[in-house]
Amino acid sequence: MNSIIIGQYIPGKGFLYRLDPRTKMISIIFLMVSVFLLQNVYQLFIAFGIGILVLLFGRISLLKVIKGLKPIFLLLIFTFIFQIALNKSGDVVSDTTMHINLYSIGAVVLAFVIWRILVRFNKLKMLLFLVFVVGIYFIFRYITYSPDFYSFQFTIYEKGLEMSAFVVVRLLIIITLTTILTLTTKPTDLTQGMESLLHPLKKIGFNSEEFALIISISLRYIPTIFDEAQKIMLAQASRGADFSEGKLKDKLKQIVSLLVPMFIIAFIRSEELADAMESRNFVPGQKRTRINILTFSIVDVYTFVFTLLCFAGAIVAKVVL
Amino acid sequence: MGIRFKEVSHEYPSYSKTMYKAIQNISLDIEAKDEFIALVGHTGSGKSTLAKHMNALIFPTSGTVEIFGNEITKKRNKKIKYNNIRQKVGLVFQFPEYQLFEETVEKDIMFGPLNFKVSHEEAKKMALSALNMVGLDKSYLERNPFNLSGGEKKRVSVAGILAIDPEILVLDEPTSGLDPAGKHIMMDLFREIHEKTGKTVIIITHDMDLVYQYFNRVIVLKDGELTFDGSPDALFRSDILESNHLDLPNTIKTLKFLKDEYKLDIDIYKKTVEEAAMEINEVMSDE
Ligand SMILES: Nc1ncnc2c1ncn2[C@@H]1O[C@H](COP(=O)(O)OP(=O)(O)O)[C@@H](O)[C@H]1O
Ligand SMILES: [Mg+2]
Repeated sequence: MNSIIIGQYIPGKGFLYRLDPRTKMISIIFLMVSVFLLQNVYQLFIAFGIGILVLLFGRISLLKVIKGLKPIFLLLIFTFIFQIALNKSGDVVSDTTMHINLYSIGAVVLAFVIWRILVRFNKLKMLLFLVFVVGIYFIFRYITYSPDFYSFQFTIYEKGLEMSAFVVVRLLIIITLTTILTLTTKPTDLTQGMESLLHPLKKIGFNSEEFALIISISLRYIPTIFDEAQKIMLAQASRGADFSEGKLKDKLKQIVSLLVPMFIIAFIRSEELADAMESRNFVPGQKRTRINILTFSIVDVYTFVFTLLCFAGAIVAKVVL
Repeated sequence: MGIRFKEVSHEYPSYSKTMYKAIQNISLDIEAKDEFIALVGHTGSGKSTLAKHMNALIFPTSGTVEIFGNEITKKRNKKIKYNNIRQKVGLVFQFPEYQLFEETVEKDIMFGPLNFKVSHEEAKKMALSALNMVGLDKSYLERNPFNLSGGEKKRVSVAGILAIDPEILVLDEPTSGLDPAGKHIMMDLFREIHEKTGKTVIIITHDMDLVYQYFNRVIVLKDGELTFDGSPDALFRSDILESNHLDLPNTIKTLKFLKDEYKLDIDIYKKTVEEAAMEINEVMSDE
């Protein structure tokens, strides 16, 4: 297990880094709403183009953003396939017969093996998966040299294609927006921004400072907890509890042997932290000053203007078109 | 041969781009029987990392560790039963909190033996004898491990490994955080286990007094590299202590002070306080 870095903040330059976290959060909320207001796939492509321009303008490497998309790539591919296969309205775009026969099944198995082997040596796992899926489509379509066990019509409809692109592009934009936020904002800045934004809620009894404190302590402790979990696993492996071997019943026992020390240590750590905070004169609810005070600059103003323009554009698109 | 390190290095992934080398190019032989070894070095010198290689908890990033004939390399080998290695080499971690989890001491000590497919009755017997070995009586069997004192927890965690009956016993700082009397009780215990059973025992410690008094071999690490492997006598007579961030034992320090300050003709290499006192007495009566 490698160390896990929470939040994908990567230090860098560019205007997105200089923006106040509050600006970023508010803008992203508005931009997301705008994206949901959009009606069809062409508008979404325009939004996507604007998004790419913003990334380029902010001098953020597209590669990093794509990396951030990795966890949901599988979801994107499946959404795409399901939409294409199941949505049956509009004109027919392509209508092909899929052949399932001895040769095509053999070819699929071969493709599967090749895919699994390539995955071992290659970093572009998701791309390979995509190639594999597309490959299966072509195998079933064109390999016809032996009698079919079974064949069926695979029809792609215009609406299906459109909807799948629509859903996928929308997801892409939303994820990219949140990735921009986590990529360019330190977790501490994020919580500070959140605290400041939630401050008005104090009137209804919601203490934003404590909330922000809880969030930042939690973030701070995630890597620590992972470290501790790893140490406990090693300590129990020393006593023969290798988590990769054993029957289900043994596994349950092994999980207990991991969880109990985990909780005990979490309690110990939190008590230590509380003592440390108190001995440095921390009093809950007291007014505190900040080392870094959040301030808006001219860049924030431009960003707000840009966001409002996008939002207005989306509303116009919704109402007029 | 028990454990043989062949040019072993271990790198941890670190937050910066470069990997962090915790141990480098270590070659070392440890016999399966009759060794009593101290492993010393400054904090962060890689002692714990080295210890974790001894029962294949972590694998070298280069080089090989041979443990009772099993070659441990960078890659996990499907033919090797890693669990068996852990039965042969028992490793006790520095903090007992990392391993205690059952509601009674007895059950906790039985966890190891049961994992190694010992029958329930047999494990019970082993738990009691391991508990006795660490100097706790059977009234502790039913106690909750979390309500014990720090020293008692430590003993229970040692008993948890002893019950597995390993051939080689590795202990990571077993005396840290104990009072001076507690330290000696624990050390006497390990020495007794070693003498009675002939098992090889490897102990990580920072206490030079203990190193000088108890051990016949000491291994020194500095910044992940092996800088000394020999007898404690040779170590404390050498001039590498300071460069390795090590201290002299208190007896030598005191006698050395007397020798330098009062120009006494005195043998400064005495292991225990009693021996040192006798030496001082003799020299004073000669004067
Ligand atoms: N799990 C880990 N991940 C990253 N670095 C580690 C890890 N464990 C230890 N280190 C680093 O390796 C070095 C050696 O650590 P360790 O073997 O624990 O030393 P010692 O036990 O002598 O104090 C230290 O600098 C430590 O920060
Ligand atoms: Mg250590």
